[in-house]
Amino acid sequence: MVSREHAGTSISAILNSVIDGLRRATNIYEVSTEMKNEAVEKTIVVDGVEVSYRTSGPANDRLPLVLVHGTAGSIDSHFGFMFPMMAFRQRVIGINLADPKTDSIEIDQLVAQIRAVIEAEVQDGSVTLLGYSMGAPLAAKTAHAMGDKVSNLILVAGYMKTDTHQKLRGHIWMSLYKEGNPLVKNFMSFTAFSPFHMKSRSLEDMLAGTAKMNITPFIAKQVDLNTRIDVLAECDELQTKTLVVALSDDFSCPKHHSKAMFGTIVNASYTEIATGHAVVHERPAELFYHVNRFCNDPECYPVGKIVPAPKP
Amino acid sequence: MIVSTKILIIGAGFTGLGTAIKLLKAGQEDFIVLERRDDVGGVWLDNNYPGIACDVPSHFYSFSFRTKADWSKIQSPGGEIQEYLHECAKEEGIIPFIRFNTDMLESRWDAEAKHWVVKTNNDTYHAKFLLTGAGHLTDEFMPDIEGLDSFPGHVFHSARWDHSIDLNGKRIGVVGSGASAIQIVPEMQKIASELVVFQRSAPYMNIRNDHAYTEAEKRTFERNPDVLEHLRAWIFWFGEEQYAQRRMVPKYIEEAKQVAMAHMENQVSDPALRKKLTPDYEIGCKRRLSSSGYYPAVASPNCTVEASALARVEGSKAFGTSGESYDLDALVFATGFEAVRMPFTTRVFNDAGISLDEHWDQGMQALDAIAVAGYPNLFIIYGPNTGLGSNSAVYVIEAQVDYVISALEYLEENQLTVFEAKPEAEEQFMDHIHDVAEGTVWLDGGCSSWYVDDRSGRLTVIWPDFPHIFREENSQFHPERYELTT
Repeated sequence: MVSREHAGTSISAILNSVIDGLRRATNIYEVSTEMKNEAVEKTIVVDGVEVSYRTSGPANDRLPLVLVHGTAGSIDSHFGFMFPMMAFRQRVIGINLADPKTDSIEIDQLVAQIRAVIEAEVQDGSVTLLGYSMGAPLAAKTAHAMGDKVSNLILVAGYMKTDTHQKLRGHIWMSLYKEGNPLVKNFMSFTAFSPFHMKSRSLEDMLAGTAKMNITPFIAKQVDLNTRIDVLAECDELQTKTLVVALSDDFSCPKHHSKAMFGTIVNASYTEIATGHAVVHERPAELFYHVNRFCNDPECYPVGKIVPAPKP
Repeated sequence: MIVSTKILIIGAGFTGLGTAIKLLKAGQEDFIVLERRDDVGGVWLDNNYPGIACDVPSHFYSFSFRTKADWSKIQSPGGEIQEYLHECAKEEGIIPFIRFNTDMLESRWDAEAKHWVVKTNNDTYHAKFLLTGAGHLTDEFMPDIEGLDSFPGHVFHSARWDHSIDLNGKRIGVVGSGASAIQIVPEMQKIASELVVFQRSAPYMNIRNDHAYTEAEKRTFERNPDVLEHLRAWIFWFGEEQYAQRRMVPKYIEEAKQVAMAHMENQVSDPALRKKLTPDYEIGCKRRLSSSGYYPAVASPNCTVEASALARVEGSKAFGTSGESYDLDALVFATGFEAVRMPFTTRVFNDAGISLDEHWDQGMQALDAIAVAGYPNLFIIYGPNTGLGSNSAVYVIEAQVDYVISALEYLEENQLTVFEAKPEAEEQFMDHIHDVAEGTVWLDGGCSSWYVDDRSGRLTVIWPDFPHIFREENSQFHPERYELTT
């Protein structure tokens, strides 16, 4: 593996570690603002493929937060809100998963990319790992593989094992894709957003939004992988403190998957957000609320408990 | 007459009524509310200018513990909000606790007696705890305009609208282009022979997505409380998302600007007028507005936008700083409120006789945005660093009322009678506020606004973080930050 930095992060890394030492146990408020680092773009080569990632935010007494996007996503498209808003409060590392350039992909290839970034960026201490959608089973498997390196886990709209509903969704998607049918984009949008979200938009708005999508061969491989996910055994063995975030109107990874994860992962707690699968677009601030609270104090989410949504 | 009470609340607007209702629910009945007007409503009673409405959706600009299924519109008229508050006061049994037409003239802390001595135009009150609910938008701001006395026509502030004056067919000048002005201007444009808008700086403005609710929709809310709850949550989290703009995340700033500028360009075709209406600062630095009628009104043949502030008046002529002059019959000042130096602070004194206004000579500040070192047993609600750039004021008020209730409960449980903010805790809190404010659009957006105190350059009106963080940090009493005595 080779790490290459695009900007001068070595100085900021040194400063971060110094400030980290100075700051511990002094901050009574939730935000420490001594350093609000600019984002730094980096790459690392994993199994011959260049993986890009982004780091930002001040080092403080919070664990670095590592963000893993879902199918067809990226740091920008899935964490366009989360990354900068969390980076104001703490160190954040976002990963753009890369196409391993094999005919089809396996979960371990993507887990290797996540693992490589964590090992390159966090030599000392552990991390909070967040996986969204397909990123959730990837994060769960990474946490299982890395043991104590991942202290806390956040699984948003995830699943452990593909079920028939998801296989049918994958089948429809793949059929449309293979015949070159542009409706594949509309189908993605249809399963991503909640009916309530669409209610306040016109059909033209929804169609215009999906028209911007670029369906790449890597996305097709991700959709294929989604039909073969099984991390049930790993979740069963996982001891990591975990927050499961379910989405009540999720038609891609319905909430029964999150409830099953909540039951399976021994140190899990559970909460729900009233959106479709695309929570990162529909209600990113409420997702931020949970992620920020959990990163600040994981014990706000007691093991085995369902934490109700805040009522503003 | 001297009247003793445990808690004295100043003002019967959202703060005073919200506090009173929650005190009653918490089993506290020893309180009195002083209200200088003859009815409840606060800002919604004072402000009744033509076109007045709230720019926060009504289903969220209302108490969480007293939702209302039958709001007439998404953004209801001001009169309806005042009626809502009246209904809250009446149905929650608050009216008997209110002393109307009673103006707090002077409040002094008596350290020996451990109570506040509050003089009014009626009785004098002795209160263990004083709670101010005066708010940012209580006393109007009138700029000092040279020669205004010589103006022969009608002059009034938007918060003191004189409904006895018939403005039909008159030449009207509206001074200002902020939140009140953009509601007043479309109404004046309909009746004026000529309308001049004195615009110191152009605001960013979105289209106002407003409509009247049908009876069926109102019944839907009434019969399905979960639908109403879902809507409230949706409005709230949408507002929270807007905070990314205030934090100056480029993607969100650009999107917001595009939406606002597209709205203006869709409604205004004249390039010269477009230029006048294009803001010269970053979006969000000043309050972002919403109106569907403002741009069409100022683009009308009977309207002129004077892209400079009102500088002086000579008889019936009103001059902009540009030197342009206009003959007018009426001048309406939509120039906002004394938010940075809230007038009630000149009437509240500590034991040494120093007013809060003097104490805050470099800008207002308070521990947990509610308590001031040197001023024991005083809760200031909706005072320093409580304004929101992206959500409902009622949300902050409720959080602060929860703080008050938890403080009173803590003091009672521990048989304590006096709390006073520790100066070092207050400073630490303010350092935190100012750290968070750094890099926000309010300080770095290149504008001059009422959110920033000119004396210190500090953001003193606005809460600079996510509104939900305000609740996280400031809705529970922190005893360790106070000197507590029996």
